[in-house]
Amino acid sequence: MLSKRHTIWAIYAVFIVLTMAAPLVMDSFWLNRVAKYLVYGMLGIAVALSWGYAGILNLGQGLFFGAGAYMLAMSLKLASATSLQQGSDKPVPDFMMWNAEPGAPTELCCINKASFLWLPFQSQWFGVLMGLVVPMAIAGVIGTIVFRKRISGVFVSIITLAVVLLVRLVVIDAQPITNGFNGLTDLGWLNVGGFEFDPYVVQTYYLVAISLAVVLIGTRLLVETRAGLILQAIRDDENRVRYLGFDVPTYQTFFFAVSALIAGFAGMLYVVVSEFASPTFLDLQFSITMVVWAAVGGRASILGACLGAILINTISATVSETAGFAEGWKVVIGLVFVLVVLYLPRGLAGIAHDLLDRLRRRTPADTVRVGDATGASQLAE
Amino acid sequence: MLEVLFIGLSLGSVLLLVALGLAITYGAMGVINMAHGEMVMVGAYVTVLSGIWLGANIFVAIPLAFIVTALLGLLIEKLVVRKLYGRLLDTLLATWGIAILIQQAVRLEFGLSFFGIHIEGLGPGLQNVAVPEFLQGAFSIGGAEINRYRAFIILVTAILALLTWLIMYRTPIGTQVRAIIRNPKMAAACGIDVERVNALTFAFGSGLAGIAGVMVSGFKTVFPDMGTPMVVDGFLVVVMGGVGSLLGSVFSAGILGEINGLVASVTNDILARAVVFGIVIAIIILKPKGLFALKGR
Repeated sequence: MLSKRHTIWAIYAVFIVLTMAAPLVMDSFWLNRVAKYLVYGMLGIAVALSWGYAGILNLGQGLFFGAGAYMLAMSLKLASATSLQQGSDKPVPDFMMWNAEPGAPTELCCINKASFLWLPFQSQWFGVLMGLVVPMAIAGVIGTIVFRKRISGVFVSIITLAVVLLVRLVVIDAQPITNGFNGLTDLGWLNVGGFEFDPYVVQTYYLVAISLAVVLIGTRLLVETRAGLILQAIRDDENRVRYLGFDVPTYQTFFFAVSALIAGFAGMLYVVVSEFASPTFLDLQFSITMVVWAAVGGRASILGACLGAILINTISATVSETAGFAEGWKVVIGLVFVLVVLYLPRGLAGIAHDLLDRLRRRTPADTVRVGDATGASQLAE
Repeated sequence: MLEVLFIGLSLGSVLLLVALGLAITYGAMGVINMAHGEMVMVGAYVTVLSGIWLGANIFVAIPLAFIVTALLGLLIEKLVVRKLYGRLLDTLLATWGIAILIQQAVRLEFGLSFFGIHIEGLGPGLQNVAVPEFLQGAFSIGGAEINRYRAFIILVTAILALLTWLIMYRTPIGTQVRAIIRNPKMAAACGIDVERVNALTFAFGSGLAGIAGVMVSGFKTVFPDMGTPMVVDGFLVVVMGGVGSLLGSVFSAGILGEINGLVASVTNDILARAVVFGIVIAIIILKPKGLFALKGR
């Protein structure tokens, strides 16, 4: 009989094989959709890492998603055909032209006061790099300030929530360089070594699916490291870990930043798949919705949270196809959420763990190990 | 200048209206009620519906909205919140689910729209409330134009804040609520029926949100999603003022309202809101317990 750890890795393997096999049965329209849900699944991982493992309920995860999305979208915007057709040999985003003051030079450097910020984004790889660096840097700054001040629990949630709403307003207000409410649309395609990632080709799907597999396995391995174990100890009793001599804020900030990195990466992939970036990524609703996915799937399970996100989105897309059901479906979501919090705090992953344990209890060879199936070690899975 | 200060005051009073109920439920019960904004929304819809079906003005709507939202709050407390005491972040998530349910109940007209039945005043569309004639227009004090309806809001807020203060500090039940804010277990040990008091507190807090909804409906468009930004604002006010401190909420609502008004008068509304968020973040980081934190062991 396999150990529980092996069983869990086997489930991971099954999940990854399934995502890789999806193109065999789906047309390009559905592949594009599923790619989006896999991106949401990656967000679920980011939430599970910060909420389930670090005990930090981040209500502003959308900030990191949005930062990643905007950074790449700026590069792709400059790469789009329309940006090259604005009467200048250098690319200029169309919305800047619409709002340009009469007589302003049609150059990215000086079409308006802040447009020079766009200059380095002419290189696509700068956009990609920023899409990873910016979310991490923001998280690093927030984390350092908040965790050094030993702010914890609900106050971290409130601060992250206020920060994402603050940034949302700034992005909307900085209309000349962000196109305000409308966001960045009409983007070009990601170009790697001459290959263009058209959102509806199978290669783009694999780009997302492989990224998800890497993030999934990477996060899983990360929480099993020594640092990951210390992080879980901090979640369970911060003061005790502090007394043991560990530098608590460093661990918290590091994992907070990793979670932001994953969210930012997800944001970039989302832009590749859906060809837009908009301030709706920074809405409160979106950030809380991510938490819902993770809660339903299992807040303390990386794969559970990921699956929760994919499941909820797939079901809601299918149900919403039927006219009139879209609004009714939201009722179901609201109800599911209340019920999950009330009766199923460990989510679907909790059910899976219980089933697994029950199955294993039947095999006598493993009876010795059943004893350690305490709540704590289950949470850690 | 007087006009700007007055607008700030009226913005602050709207903040306070929404925050009062939250200050009580969060402070006393340790429940982050994300459905509080939906109570405001329900209050606004009570105004719309009573206007359409009863021909009543907002003065009739105030007690009606209080009763409807207080009962709704009582129901939520009995069915959901009661099971989550002590799990602060879980109350946030569960009440978010409730918020979605209430929004959809209004949008789908309690599910009747599936059967082709439509109720005038409900549904996904936008609704407007007519303000009684004597509250329209403006009057001038010292050369400053003062909007009558805004003045009315300030008045109502002042009355409600006073009333809440009287209940909290001058009645037996208020004493019990304050005892629970300080230490629920010790309060229970002294013979206070914590469950009953909590249920009543939650109902009262929700009722206050309902009245806030009536007031808001007079100058804002009424629609099913209107509550979400309000609950965020109200929540920030409470946290900045100090959890469990009524005075703190009054104070921080006033400050935030004035800052919002002042910044908006020099720049625009979006930036003003951003500045308010920035100040709240700074204060929470510097003083996580809020400006007027209760001192205790």
